[in-house]
Order: sequence, then C-alpha cells, then structure tokens
Amino acid sequence: MSLIHIENLNKHFKILNRHPGLGGAIRDLFSNDFRFVKAVDGISFDIAPGEIVGYIGPNGAGKSTTIKMMTGILKPTSGVIQVNGQSPYDNRVRQAQIMGVVFGQRTQLWWDLPVIESFKILKEIYRVDQKTFDEHMALFDELVDLGKLYGQQVRTLSLGQRMLCDITASFLHNPQIVFLDEPTIGLDVSIKAKIRTVIKELNQARKTTIILTTHDLGDVEALCQRIIIIDKGKILYDGGIKKVNALFGAYRTLKLQIDGFDESTLRALEEKLGAHFGPENGVSLSEVEDHWTDITIDQARTPLADVLSFVMGNFPVSDVRIVEISMEKVVRKVYDGALG
Amino acid sequence: MRGYLALLRGAFMIGLIYRFGFLFIIIGNVIYMGVAYYLWHSIYDKTETINGLTFNETFIYVTLGSTVFILLKTYADWIISHEIEDGSIAVYLTKPIDYQFYALSISLGSMLTNAVAISVPTVLLLVFVFKVTFVFGPGLLIFPISILLAFLISYCFDYFTGLIMFYTESIWGVSVTKEIMITVFSGALIPLQFFPEAVQRVLLLLPFQAIYHTPLMLITRPNQDWGTLLSMVGVQAFWVVVMFVATRLFYNQAIKVLRVAGG
Repeated sequence: MSLIHIENLNKHFKILNRHPGLGGAIRDLFSNDFRFVKAVDGISFDIAPGEIVGYIGPNGAGKSTTIKMMTGILKPTSGVIQVNGQSPYDNRVRQAQIMGVVFGQRTQLWWDLPVIESFKILKEIYRVDQKTFDEHMALFDELVDLGKLYGQQVRTLSLGQRMLCDITASFLHNPQIVFLDEPTIGLDVSIKAKIRTVIKELNQARKTTIILTTHDLGDVEALCQRIIIIDKGKILYDGGIKKVNALFGAYRTLKLQIDGFDESTLRALEEKLGAHFGPENGVSLSEVEDHWTDITIDQARTPLADVLSFVMGNFPVSDVRIVEISMEKVVRKVYDGALG
Repeated sequence: MRGYLALLRGAFMIGLIYRFGFLFIIIGNVIYMGVAYYLWHSIYDKTETINGLTFNETFIYVTLGSTVFILLKTYADWIISHEIEDGSIAVYLTKPIDYQFYALSISLGSMLTNAVAISVPTVLLLVFVFKVTFVFGPGLLIFPISILLAFLISYCFDYFTGLIMFYTESIWGVSVTKEIMITVFSGALIPLQFFPEAVQRVLLLLPFQAIYHTPLMLITRPNQDWGTLLSMVGVQAFWVVVMFVATRLFYNQAIKVLRVAGG
C-alpha cells in the first residue's frame, strides 16, 4: 500500500509575457499575451511508507511545485494525487495533521520569540499531548542539543541552528510524511553533515517517510535509497540510488590554473593527456574560463590522482581545485542516456 | 481552539518583548491629548455645548477615541499582505489551522498587549492630569463587549484588505484608502454628531460606525436604558456576523489565485 500515489499529474501556470521598459510595462497593463508553462508535466510515482526519497533536478525543474501539490497548497491542473488515500487539496486541514513540512528558505518558527515557544505553539496547533511532547523534546535534545537553544530568540540563531530547529519541529507531531524542501541550502559542510545525521536518525526512530528535494548531491548520497530526477516537469529517472551513484559518484572535475596560460598550453595539454592516457580513458577537457582549465575525469576508468600528478609533472600549475559533478551535468548525462 | 490560544499567547509575548515600542506610543498619545485639550478648550470657549455634546464629553470622546483607535488597529492587512508577498503564507497553509482564525489570533494577541500598556495609562492621565469626570452608568458595563465586537469588525476590514494582495500584489494604496475611510466614516476623527444630518443617517447604516462610534458613545453617554444599549451592541454583533461570513467567502475566492496561479 503506497502512502503517496501520483498519476499523470499536471500543473500548468499561466504567465503574462512582460515587455521591457516603461512603455512595455504600460502595454502589459492591457495585455492578453499569456503563455502557459508546464511546471509539472504528466508525472507518476508511488511512495511507500518509511522510504527516504530524493527528489532532485535543476532550478525550475518543478520540484517545489510537486511538493506544494503534495502538501495541498497548490491545486493540480489535472491528474491524480493522493496522500494516505486522500486528496491533499480537498482535505487540507485534516491532511496537514499527518504531514510535516520544512521549506529551506522560510521558517515555521516565530522569529521574535525564544525557540521553545515555537515548539509550544506547534504542540497546541497539532494537539500533541504533554507526554509525547516531553518524549520528543528529549529525543531532539539528544540529537541536536536543542535544550541549549530553548531560551534563545529565533532571530539570533545561526542559519544552521535554525534549520536544525525547523527540521526537528516538523517531526514534533509524529507525522507520517515529512517534506524537506532544500534543507541544506546555504549551509557549510559540517552543519550539512549534522543535518543529514538528524534526518536519518529521525527516519529510523519514527519510520517517517521523507521526501527530500535538494540541489546537493551529497544529501542524496548520504540519505536516499531511491531518487527521482525531474527536469522541465518530466521525470527522467526513478529508481535505486546505486545506478545514479555510480554516475555522479565517479565523476570529478579537476580545475587547474596554469602559469603563462594561452591557446598553445591548452592544445599541448589536450595532446599530452591523450597520448598518456589513451583515447578511451574517461578524461576530457571540458571548458575554459578565467584562466581555469577544467578536466572532467571518470574515476571508474582513470584515477584522479594519476591525472593530477601527470599534469603537475608536466605543466607549471599554480592552483588546483577538485569539484564534484554538478546537478546540471548529472541531468545532462541522464538525458544523454547514461542510465540506459 | 487550544492552538489559536497558543498563537494568541505568542503574539501577546512578542508585544512584551518590544516593550520600548509602548513607551513611544504612550508619549505620542500624551502629546496628542495635550493638543486636543487646548484645541477643544478654545472651541468651547464661548459656549457650553456644541451639537449637544459638552466639552467634557467631546474631550473624553476624542482622547479615548485615539486610544480605542490604537486598540482597534489589528494590522491584519499588513501581516497578511506581508505573508503573501514573501510566500510565508505557504507555511501556514501546511498547518492544520484555519487562516482567518490564525490571523485573528495574532491580531488579538497584539491588541491585548496594547490594551494593557496603552489604555491603562491613558485613563489614568485623563482622570488625574486632565481631571475629566466619567459618567457612570450601565453603558460602561457593556463597553468591554462592545470594544471586542468593534475589534472583530475592524479585523474583518483589515483581513479583507490583506486578501486583496492576492490580486494586486501591492497593498499600500488599498490600505491607505481603507484607513481614511474608517477614520472618517467611523467617527474616530470627529464625533458623528458633527456631520450633517443626512450624512449621519447614511453613516449609521454602514458598518464603520460600529467600530468607533458605538463603543465611544457607550463611554461618553453610559446613562441610557438597557434597550438602547443592547440594540447598539446588537447592531455590532450583526456586522460581525455579516463581515465574518463575507470575508470567509472572499478568502475562498482569493486563495484560488494562489492555488491555481502559484505563489
């Protein structure tokens, strides 16, 4: 029995085409020049209780729109959406009781009040009894040291602390599903790791279904057994993490700054790399911007360390950076049939 | 219900946290009372009563009017429009609460802080500094009920104005217009008795007068028979019901803009 059932779901927005300049703005007042944007375009999937599902895609892919439909904020243009057997839109208030939601860019905490007050307000809104409340607060205290923050005004919290409070708060009423919309946005590495641990532990302790949208592939790798990749409103991939993990886990981009860089350096680099590692090596020179040379490496075929030591040995390298493959590149690779 | 009480309590606490805000409201109010005192004093210089009101009655009406004005400011229009503008309304739409009562709880909570911190000092000043004499009568007993009903009507006006944000994406002009209409038509600026007869008759049929005129008449003219007093409060209750239902219907329409067009 699936907890969330979505079938051929669509959401179209009607958007006025705006014209530039003052004249354009005045013209727009009377304009009927609309275009339709298919934010969500015929998606279907089912989510079982207890799963952690990563819902990923580039900006504007339709992630948040889907979340807003699942939480009953937006009404679908057409299609079926059922959460726990009910339409979230028609039964908003009742359905809200079984859901927890965190929007990474907003907060459900009361900005001006000490942290504990927000938890008390949520306790009353969700009608959580005192015993459950005490149990949960003890659990949160154990997980994130929440007790220390009780007396602090929310506005004085760091972004990371606030996010930890927001996430734990969304579990307070023991919901069946928690939606986390970009929970790690704008956070540093150590707090990201902390947040991932907390999400994982809460999922295991409460058997809560979690739907996570993110831009950070690290979140997905750390948390999800299943991922759904969406782009331009359509689902590109829905399945186990392993296949995808092999894809983006293996790729790294080596960024190099080479002294006295010019056109000839680039050509020399390309030739030497080709000669040393052979043609089918998974090493490619991708793009060059601001004196940085990017080398994308498929580690399944050639270890990054080999490439790095070879380049360092043959070129006057002044600076090096290693970056993980971006969401956009993953999506492009999926388009190109990387997942078969 | 418990949830809404918790929201109300939260809003009340926020008021207490920003306690310095009160100080300035009180100072401002004192200055206003001083100005009003000398202004109306010179108007009443040569005559005992104007339009049937004595100086004492007019002065109480005007000064308590400004206090009641602060009390009845619900700020619901700004709260709601702000939430619509920055999208935080989405957070409350994912909670098992009704939006109309959510916004009402917040407004009522901040009103209670004002009630404690502003009306008490004003009444003390009126009695001990300006030495006005209050007339005692049954009107004073139902004054608290009347003020609460007035608050609910004022809230409906503000809630309605806030919801217009769904359509206009900007609230400044709408809110200012609403503010002016209420200030003039409700008798908050000058007593309704000062308007021409015909205008008065029209204004008494509109909901505006139920906001300021009714509670202020109860306090300046409390010695009236129970029938008159209860019918005054009855009219207020009538407007509360009408406007609550009307704004509820409007919400059901307005929210579709968000739900269909996205936020």
